[in-house]
Amino acid sequence: MILVVAAVAVWIGAWAFNGWLANGRLSGLASVRLAVPLIFGATVIVVWELIVRGLQVPPVILPPPSTIVGAFFGNFGILWPDFVQTFAKGALGGYVIGCGSALLTAILVDRYDFLRRGLLPVGNFMAALPIVGTAPILVMWFGFDWQSKAAVVVVMVFFPMLVNTVAGLRDTSAMQRDLMRTYGASYWQTLFKLRFPAALPFIFNGLKIATTLALIGAIVAEFFGSPTRGLGFRISTSVGTLALDMVWAVIVVAALTGTAFYGAVAWLERRMTFWHPSQRK
Amino acid sequence: MKKLVSTAALAAVLGAPAWAADDVTLQLKWVTQAQFAGYYVALDQGFYEEEDLNVKILAGGPDIAPGQVLAGGGADVMIDWLPSALAAREKGLPIVNIAQPFKTSGLMLTCWKDTGITGPQDFRGKTIGVWFFGNEYPFLSWMSQEGIPTDGGENGVTVLKQGFNVDPLLQRQADCISTMTYNEFGQVLDAGVSTDELVTFKYEDVGVATLEDGLYVLESNLADADFADRMVRFVRASMKGWKWAEEHPEDAAMIVLDNDDTGAQTEAHQVRMMGEIAKLTAGSNGALDEADYNRTVQTLLAGGSDPVITAEPVGAWTHAITDAALN
Repeated sequence: MILVVAAVAVWIGAWAFNGWLANGRLSGLASVRLAVPLIFGATVIVVWELIVRGLQVPPVILPPPSTIVGAFFGNFGILWPDFVQTFAKGALGGYVIGCGSALLTAILVDRYDFLRRGLLPVGNFMAALPIVGTAPILVMWFGFDWQSKAAVVVVMVFFPMLVNTVAGLRDTSAMQRDLMRTYGASYWQTLFKLRFPAALPFIFNGLKIATTLALIGAIVAEFFGSPTRGLGFRISTSVGTLALDMVWAVIVVAALTGTAFYGAVAWLERRMTFWHPSQRK
Repeated sequence: MKKLVSTAALAAVLGAPAWAADDVTLQLKWVTQAQFAGYYVALDQGFYEEEDLNVKILAGGPDIAPGQVLAGGGADVMIDWLPSALAAREKGLPIVNIAQPFKTSGLMLTCWKDTGITGPQDFRGKTIGVWFFGNEYPFLSWMSQEGIPTDGGENGVTVLKQGFNVDPLLQRQADCISTMTYNEFGQVLDAGVSTDELVTFKYEDVGVATLEDGLYVLESNLADADFADRMVRFVRASMKGWKWAEEHPEDAAMIVLDNDDTGAQTEAHQVRMMGEIAKLTAGSNGALDEADYNRTVQTLLAGGSDPVITAEPVGAWTHAITDAALN
């Protein structure tokens, strides 16, 4: 009971302090801007720990953060191969193949109008297929290993990337295209020197969306058949053995991976499309 | 207004007998099928009603861990296999076996004959499909006793997390798969494979069988006299249902089909399943045989470097309920 009271006290106290930091006279400092979300995150974790221990919630329902951290560091030897299997092989493999083929298809679609009218609805249909339905089928076609997970990621990632790239390739004004024409540029020169760089903001938009879809696709696809490693496999079997602390440790790995992946693409975007209004402060 | 009041009073009076019955919620280990026929029969034939019980049967399925449902208060009693229950007990979930309707194990490993597998040592270098979610323990225990590592390579077995179908065998993605005598083995035969194309290892014959479907409750609940009394009546009626099902397998299969909300089960499949299940429940009156229990515990403890349980369990079962129910 004391712990629950302490949890409430910590929550109120931290909220008040954070509010003062965010709205008070210190709010301009860069360090304060970094500290406010960190303090909020830390408060949530502390309150979680105190409430779960105070109310004596069974660990098979919700484990406290301390055991999750213990499981994370204690099982590093298991989590690292799982990460490699799911992310490095499944998600990244599918991401590269999916985004790459979407880019090439978009160039084709842009060149030939009848392809645009035909392929985009098909792509729309493919994207709408639920992965809990497609994953078992793809496992049957491509086997249990990372190839089927990459295939699921390709199906999920292809359409958003295609739509974004097609939209980006069309986003040049008539004036700009005419200018290239006056320089006597061929179709390919116009494509690589004008339209492709102009499409980069859209392409990166698609790439960022694809990062989250890739990780989700790879993890969920592993629920439907996998060798005995992989983040999805670990979550599924740990639930079965009631090792909820391991489940949460895998969730932490997936969250860190997803954030880092998205952040990496966003950083690349900032470097390559610095000229775009969305990148200016 | 008068009509409303009198209707309400009538409903209350007529509903009173139902209110007087005690509620029990049972969490099944898997989807509705003849594996759980005894309970559906007891519901259908009124055995639970005779014991003044209002029983609700919750179907399980993929990604439903019955232990979690029990811990969260979603059910009073669950069906689980003994290895999984003992492992959960070690993990901190205090569950106790109150009845054991299944006397023998139906777990098997079915292999293609052309892989050249004739004995367990031939598993080295092969790919084997294993169920997880609590069903992996008998296999891991067996491999540990044989001294075969399960992380792949030429000297060990490569384990595939098998879904709940027989495709890995049919698609040749695995050399062997886990099957139950009453379910997946029949599915393999239905797919057109003949028995002389297969080599089958029954866990019972190899000597590594563990006890399967048993009834489990939370230890804290068992301390409550009212709960214990409900469980006594529940076990009595359930065992009556099981014995009825053994004697009338086709009718029991039809009762299961009637209770199948998903509509996914077929009559032929359920009748065959009931026939096989009857072989597993035969010889048990519901009371846990301590010799069987000890055999399972020794099998699990003999797991070498990676035992399923690390210590002899204490207080994992009780005869208190079955003594009161069957006498």
